[in-house]
Amino acid sequence: MIGVQRHAGRWVAIFAAAFCIAALLLPFVGPFGLSLDRVRARQEPDWSILVHLRVTRTLLGLFAGGALALAGTLFQAILRDALATPYTLGISAGASLGAVVAIWLGWQQFAGVPAIWLAALAGAGIVLALVVGAAVQQRRVSSFSLLLSGLAANSVCSASIIVVFGLVSTTQSFSISRWLIGSVDSVDYAALGSFVAVVALAAAIVMRQAKAWNLMAVDPSWAATRGASVTRLTMSGYGAGSLLTAATVALTGPIGFVGLVVPHLIRTRIGADHRVLMPCAFLGGGVLLAGCDAVGRILIAPSEIPAGAVMAILGGPYLIWVLRQRSAA
Amino acid sequence: MSVRLQIEDVTWQVGGRMVLAGISFEVREGEIAVLMGLNGAGKSTLLDIVAGLRQPAGGDVRLDERSIATSDPRARARLVAHLPQAVRPDLPFIAGELVLMGRYPHTDRWFESQQDRNAVERAMRRTGCWDFRDRLVQTLSGGERQRVLLAACLAQAPKLLLFDEPSTHLDIDQQLHCFSLLREECDRGAACLVVTHDLNLALTYGTRLIVLAEGRVAVDLPAEAAAHRPDWLAHFSPRLTLSTTPSGRPWVSYS
Repeated sequence: MIGVQRHAGRWVAIFAAAFCIAALLLPFVGPFGLSLDRVRARQEPDWSILVHLRVTRTLLGLFAGGALALAGTLFQAILRDALATPYTLGISAGASLGAVVAIWLGWQQFAGVPAIWLAALAGAGIVLALVVGAAVQQRRVSSFSLLLSGLAANSVCSASIIVVFGLVSTTQSFSISRWLIGSVDSVDYAALGSFVAVVALAAAIVMRQAKAWNLMAVDPSWAATRGASVTRLTMSGYGAGSLLTAATVALTGPIGFVGLVVPHLIRTRIGADHRVLMPCAFLGGGVLLAGCDAVGRILIAPSEIPAGAVMAILGGPYLIWVLRQRSAA
Repeated sequence: MSVRLQIEDVTWQVGGRMVLAGISFEVREGEIAVLMGLNGAGKSTLLDIVAGLRQPAGGDVRLDERSIATSDPRARARLVAHLPQAVRPDLPFIAGELVLMGRYPHTDRWFESQQDRNAVERAMRRTGCWDFRDRLVQTLSGGERQRVLLAACLAQAPKLLLFDEPSTHLDIDQQLHCFSLLREECDRGAACLVVTHDLNLALTYGTRLIVLAEGRVAVDLPAEAAAHRPDWLAHFSPRLTLSTTPSGRPWVSYS
């Protein structure tokens, strides 16, 4: 056996176990201590808090973190750059701006789909095309210009959100504040269900191609001469990555660093084989974000720290550490 | 000997400059065709076109009688392996994983079969890199990495090998070893189109010498003929002379 393949099952099992344990335990973490007996007897308010607030919130954190970590892994493979994530490329900010504009203009639904989702997807797609387009030089993507154009996109989108924030009514501004810094909040089961369905679909599309992402992560011409259809792969990757990001941002707002920290940590332990890396990154990303959200709930209770802020406080120093390691190499 | 590769009137231009102005030649089974020329003569571009990485502006390339423009990339990858000038993965792949990628066009399984892994081990032993199969590609020296890439091409079990300066980074012994491997592959019925600047390697291992100059095939000679007709050397430098070693082999020396 070669590389991580011989331990593939073990690694995925470990991460899946962590994911399940997080799903079972994290709903019990919070400023209001739930009593197991009262929950078992379905007594209020414990039962409602658990079922309608904490469970949905934990599940949202798990799947949102998974989607962001998987999107990060994917963009890193396509662009061959360990710093490419939905957040650093400005895609999260683009999706947020889309969502905020939809609220501002009072769009509700389009063809049965919430307008926020569609607007977020449009924002993500537009920013991705602009940022990657700006960074391509002679068929090559330069890592430096990628990060700089991502930075530019981030600034423009965040500033525009602030402008819209000033234009809208007070009630609207309350619902917009989520897109200033991302947080994991309780959602209703219908929204959670559609979110999980979209993420599962996009994740399945991405992970089915894991062998081809290995080739792409080495070099596009390497991939092409081993028999991968590079253009089709790249387009489906950008599509699925935007979908994962937009669906997440529509519910949580922009949350950074999950897509950076998780794939990077896992790669240094188990290597770069995407057949193992991608499922582990998805499961690990979910655990990390749901965990950060749980920490944010109790750290300064009764106030809450948004999960996006907890992630940023942890992720910022991690990014510096990655950069230092990289320049040393 | 059947024709593996037919290049017909291939043209390529960039920024108004005709880099390839109608290139035609054939490579047959068992041949090592050595592609030479000055820097910028379009050697790598031609190799890229044959590998399907670039679309020619005009003309056609046929592999085993089928135009590559219409063939499916996976089917093409089962026939053709391309060794690029440089591959530097940023992500932490290990050497064995890189070679395993050569099996991509041959298997639909999620993880490769024992048969695939055997092919990988054989290829890595042949190029002398099996011992560092578990090392990160990033930590390999240039020569070690080149041997890994070579193994990846062999593991692909191709009928046509396209090698772009395969001896780059290799020490002399490894260079000779690399070209001996090409010889072995061609003896088994493969064909090889290889770009190199080393005229003596070309004379020693090539069966045909093709020199590109000013966008055209300036020279297309069997290697034995090239040993007796030194005029093709003028395409490279006026300071080259063709002599014979004591063992009777042709040898290019500088003056």
